[in-house]
Amino acid sequence: MSLKNILENWSHYRRGHEEGGHHDYEHMWGMAIDLNKCTGCNACSVACYAENNLPTVGKDRMRKGQGLHWLRMERYWDEPEMGGDEKEYQERGGSFLPMMCQHCNAATCEPVCPVAATYHTPDGLNAQVYNRCIGSRYCSNNCPYRLRYFNFYSYYEESWPEPLNMQLNPDLSVRDKGVMEKCTFCIQRIRTGKDTAQREGREVKDGDVVTACAQTCPTEAIVFGDLLDKDAQVTKLWKAQEVELGKTKQDKSNGELRGYRVLEGLNTDPCVMYLDRVREA
Amino acid sequence: MSGSDINRRDFLKFMGLGGVGAATLSGCDMPTTVTLEEGKEKVVAYLAPEEYAIPGIGVTFASTCQQCPSGCGVHGRVREGRVLKLEGNPDALNGKGLCQMGQASLQGHYNPDRITQPMARKNGALVPVSWEDAWKLMQEKASGATQGRSAWFTGTVSGHQSVLLAALNDAWGSKDHYVYEAINNAVGEAVNKSVLGDAAPAYRLDKAKAVLSFGADFLGTWVSPVHFSREYAKFRTGDRGVLIQVEPKMTLTGGSADLWVAARPGTEGVVALGIANVLLSKNQVDGKKLPQVALDVISQYSADKVTEVSGVPGDTLVRIAKYLKERSPSLVLSGESAHGHANGYQNAMAAMMLNVLLGNVGETIEASNSMVFGELKAKHGNSKAMLDFAAAADAGKYDVVFFMGANPVYTAPVHLGMAEKIAKVPFKVALSMFPDETTMSADLVLPLSSPYEEWATSVSPYQPKEAAISMSQPLMKPLSAETKSLGDILLSMLKYQGVKGYDGFDDYYAYLRSELNAMPGSVKAGKDNDAFWSAAVQKGFIKAPTKSGTLKVSVGDVKQGGYQAGGDYPMHLVPTSNQTMYDGRNANLPWLQEAPDQITKIFWDSWVEIHPKTAAKLGVKEGDFVRVESDQGAIEAQVYIYKGVHVDAVAVPMGRGHEEYGRYAKGNGVNPLKILSPAVDEKSGELATHATRVRISKTGRSEELPRLGGSEVQVGRRLVSTVSADVFRRTEGV
Amino acid sequence: MFVSNKFLSKRRGKSVGQGKVSQRLAMFFSVLASVFIVAAAQAEVPNAKPPVGTHSGEDVPQPIDFPHDIHADVNGINCMYCHTYARRSKVAGIPPTSKCMGCHSVIATDKPRIKKLTEYWEKNEPPQWNKVHDVPDYVHFTHEKHLQRFVFNNEGMDVENVSEVCAFCHGDVKKMTVAEKVKPLNMGFCVRCHEQNDGPSDCWKCHK
Repeated sequence: MSLKNILENWSHYRRGHEEGGHHDYEHMWGMAIDLNKCTGCNACSVACYAENNLPTVGKDRMRKGQGLHWLRMERYWDEPEMGGDEKEYQERGGSFLPMMCQHCNAATCEPVCPVAATYHTPDGLNAQVYNRCIGSRYCSNNCPYRLRYFNFYSYYEESWPEPLNMQLNPDLSVRDKGVMEKCTFCIQRIRTGKDTAQREGREVKDGDVVTACAQTCPTEAIVFGDLLDKDAQVTKLWKAQEVELGKTKQDKSNGELRGYRVLEGLNTDPCVMYLDRVREA
Repeated sequence: MSGSDINRRDFLKFMGLGGVGAATLSGCDMPTTVTLEEGKEKVVAYLAPEEYAIPGIGVTFASTCQQCPSGCGVHGRVREGRVLKLEGNPDALNGKGLCQMGQASLQGHYNPDRITQPMARKNGALVPVSWEDAWKLMQEKASGATQGRSAWFTGTVSGHQSVLLAALNDAWGSKDHYVYEAINNAVGEAVNKSVLGDAAPAYRLDKAKAVLSFGADFLGTWVSPVHFSREYAKFRTGDRGVLIQVEPKMTLTGGSADLWVAARPGTEGVVALGIANVLLSKNQVDGKKLPQVALDVISQYSADKVTEVSGVPGDTLVRIAKYLKERSPSLVLSGESAHGHANGYQNAMAAMMLNVLLGNVGETIEASNSMVFGELKAKHGNSKAMLDFAAAADAGKYDVVFFMGANPVYTAPVHLGMAEKIAKVPFKVALSMFPDETTMSADLVLPLSSPYEEWATSVSPYQPKEAAISMSQPLMKPLSAETKSLGDILLSMLKYQGVKGYDGFDDYYAYLRSELNAMPGSVKAGKDNDAFWSAAVQKGFIKAPTKSGTLKVSVGDVKQGGYQAGGDYPMHLVPTSNQTMYDGRNANLPWLQEAPDQITKIFWDSWVEIHPKTAAKLGVKEGDFVRVESDQGAIEAQVYIYKGVHVDAVAVPMGRGHEEYGRYAKGNGVNPLKILSPAVDEKSGELATHATRVRISKTGRSEELPRLGGSEVQVGRRLVSTVSADVFRRTEGV
Repeated sequence: MFVSNKFLSKRRGKSVGQGKVSQRLAMFFSVLASVFIVAAAQAEVPNAKPPVGTHSGEDVPQPIDFPHDIHADVNGINCMYCHTYARRSKVAGIPPTSKCMGCHSVIATDKPRIKKLTEYWEKNEPPQWNKVHDVPDYVHFTHEKHLQRFVFNNEGMDVENVSEVCAFCHGDVKKMTVAEKVKPLNMGFCVRCHEQNDGPSDCWKCHK
């Protein structure tokens, strides 16, 4: 989207969010992650490394927080909803949360980029254009989920000694120093899926596009799809959980439904819905 | 900006420096990855491609992952002759899922430290030699091995490679094929065999409504984790099952438990008896399925006695019993942390007794169907093999030993003196992809191709219902022309040995083709040879006919021993296995080194897990280096403090602390297996890995722990929200 | 390029980011275009708005001095016969050696260039061509979609020979021996054509 589009459509897609409508969009890629099924195994994170040319940064840089794990598996030791835990042992296990760019419809990172390197695509994705990025890091500062990762160093000399560089995915670039990056919902797979559908003269159907994390998940906890497609599995999940886009506070007919979005009270309108973790009381 | 070479970042740089000439600056610091000038890059077309090979569009081929014995089917995405990404094979037992080990196995294939040339020891050092010289050396030293004076020491082998290996050993008059796996379910299998008559029955997690696991990390490293993860997802949906995990340190499976119980290490059998006691006395479970002898033993284990021995409170026992009774059918499993003791067999027997008592046999434990092609079945490893081998090598039994797929020099405890005993063998040949410790101590090293460069078949050790012979096919040309597959090496050796029946095959591929051609008509389902082969390779496996099995039930002796205090060494060392490093084999894969441990979130280094009470007593905080000392030696690592480890336990992950094995593994972390005490499980002879007693002391050093940053508690934010299972049942349950 | 608001119109019901350019803007562009066009003469396709811009290409020597003129002009071979992947992949594809040998195992086998080609074939080595048309690694350019738009689903365009469309970016290859880069292939070149022909203007369509 050129500067022209951003100027033209700025108020439009902001307003669109409040009007509750995203009917102008071709697709609205979203995810539903079931924390009841998620075991915290981390396969999704490693699959993302494999698919997206993510460099390994080594112990020291990782310790400083300069890792480039677009999808990170967080683990918390508390569960506030189930009451205090002054027990001797961690009796209900850990609370695992796979976090990747939430592709917020009212993204806090988009307005603050001085060069508009990040913007919203017609597919409902939060895009990061590496070329335009000048490395101000304002966007990462603004992200409430801390899901934007900066290339503090140039990794291609160290991270891929021959023949590891043969594994690199040619469908996307290898980022250079000074550029911000983050989860793209596997835009290269979305592109390929759409091109294939067009070649075959049909619409994109559910299952054509699957992100690397969703594909590898052994329990199928991550479901990816087009929220504008009524028949998509992800849409059905969102509907069943009565979570809607364009709302800060969901009004559900059944308050016990498990679906929620992380930090949605901040008005970010993310496209990723999580379903509550479940434990026996 | 058309036609300009200067990109945005250089442009800003130039402006900042007052417009210094572009040429000087763009050359340094900014590697030129982009060459747009005409004629500077090469474009090489195909020579004579297949129709389906379209540049720019990937082709998917099926193969098999060999990173762990589970042997999951994979789909490899290949573009322009390079395999780029692996996914699970949706038709295989693991479904379309693939664990992080499988994903990272690609880095094993492309590893910069792979051995690309045969090596021979000359004047004390390994130097590259040609294959010709390698064969000559083998001829000189190995072929003359007299009857019974050779042996193979391998990891899990299966499929046709197993057949060739057996034939070779036969030809040499050797009965010694040691199959070793550091992470195994050997004790469990022994109990299964004794009680059920089936070493590896089908565990129907998907049918269970309650799972009680004594340390069986079925989501992480136990038996077939990706398959069990799929079953686990079914277990948790609909009529949601309850998971209770009893172990000394929280494994990945423990992380998902509804009730996580820390029992004193080694007392799992006592806990099982305690639960049985409650079931019989409080929950009105009928004891008629158990022999009177067992019932008598159980009656001795009142809640108080169990609490005294194991530390598990009485009401926890009551709670577990209630779940098992009310959520039926249940399933009781046991794993390494229960098995790795001198009384490991006893612990496993008590767990199995619970299954019998609860009537699970035939419900959630079903007979496995065994594949008719018995010779292809997996020879699954255990640790007794290593102990037996060490004794035999020490006694000078062998003139030549072949190592493949196992690294005993690394995983063996120091008390075994493995390196010295192996050194006694006059001629050691290592078939290996990587310069691991065992390989580097060999006299001749033969470079193996990776699982994605070779033709092979394999059979997973866990094949509960449908038996499949997994196919491996090359996903690309071998990265080095000098590597060979195990099958090819064995075939060459058989041909050289003049063993009848192998001369007609040019290579292992030809042998496999012939073997598949010879399969019975029922397997080929009416297809001709070529069609059958194509179908097998396309699907990634061949469904093999099975004989249905049956289960008997005969519970053995469930008597348990008492608890021994540790004296000078009061704590229990728990050497844990996790998916990131496994038994050490993943240490050369950078993705897995950087992948934070599933429970502690620590990367690139080892650590020591202790309970806050232990930390308080010791006066240490997170990141302090502590010394963990057994009667065999000591290791030092940083401390991680949390409530997921028993107060008397000290958990150190295995898998790091390599002294060789390439740039990513060498010199990184510590190896707890080294300081294990010489304890074995009495009944099965397996190495008792969890039986070591240690003491822990401060060193005074401290450093920031290499842990994924950020808070470990949610501080009131709704990040991971939890609901009770009742709510789940109301909204989504059946 | 920054364009003042008065040239932009917002059309209701159109997908975000693909707003139609107003008449005024179209005029502005065509004026601009006419100033900068030097050699767009080869694009004779009615109703098509080819990209504008030229580049004075260097002579790039190739392992075999391949004559496009003999193949495409004299013999009238369709571009896609050799560059067969163009209609279904990102890359048009340098033809595999087997494609050349398909004809040249019998045609003109006495000529020196054919002899050289045959040598490569016998040695099982494809010739290492030097890349003439390239875009940076961070650009996702797909031939397939462009052919879909201009060759297969070209609304109202009157394409007689697909080589006219290929000429939009590759120049008049029929007049060349080995390929020469005669168009700049920079972002401005692409964006102007996209804007004129209602192509996508989403950054992430092309930047990867």
